[in-house]
Amino acid sequence: MRLILTQKEKIDTGKILNGGASYSDGSDLIFIGKVRDISRGKKVTHIDYEIYNEMALKELNRIADEASLNHELNRIIIIHRYGRVLLGETSIVILVSSPHRDSSYQASRYIIDEIKKRVPVWKKEFYDDGSEWISDRS
Amino acid sequence: MRIKIKVFASVRDICGFNEKELIVSDSIKLNEVIDLFIKSNQALSEKKETLLIAVNEEYCRMDRTLEEGDTLAIFPPVSGG
Repeated sequence: MRLILTQKEKIDTGKILNGGASYSDGSDLIFIGKVRDISRGKKVTHIDYEIYNEMALKELNRIADEASLNHELNRIIIIHRYGRVLLGETSIVILVSSPHRDSSYQASRYIIDEIKKRVPVWKKEFYDDGSEWISDRS
Repeated sequence: MRIKIKVFASVRDICGFNEKELIVSDSIKLNEVIDLFIKSNQALSEKKETLLIAVNEEYCRMDRTLEEGDTLAIFPPVSGG
């Protein structure tokens, strides 16, 4: 089962965990990325995520293909938010299900690392006294 | 021939538009278009080495020959997650 989504709305993590679960899986591993209050020493108020949606969906699916090829996964769910995300809110959820935990841990790590390298999404952090585009590669 | 250019995030802020249609010579290479584009947006020149480029929603080689109707995207390093 695979679900790849980008959405402006808040992510309902509980609903995701229960969707498409299988008795053949011995592990469900969920990664939740959140907006934190301090970044590079500055107090963050919120983040605006910009997305090149058509390309982002293609890249997310490609990353899911690669993870499936290299790991025994029965379920992959990736949901990335765009637009304004407030402090403590979830910006990304990655759920992988596998018969064994090793596959889940490795696949989850691979997916988030590749997203941060390749998927065209950009965060702009807002502070009390301004804002700044964040580039993970710089 | 006509091509479309889309820009995102800090590159869009520098350029002042989201997307634009350009008329370029047939069989032009991607790197030639990028060089022309940066010349007309000098503030981008210092970012040139870090810019990411996609054609029709795929990362691609800079020596690719462009075709009528192609969509180029120019953007800074990504920072999702």
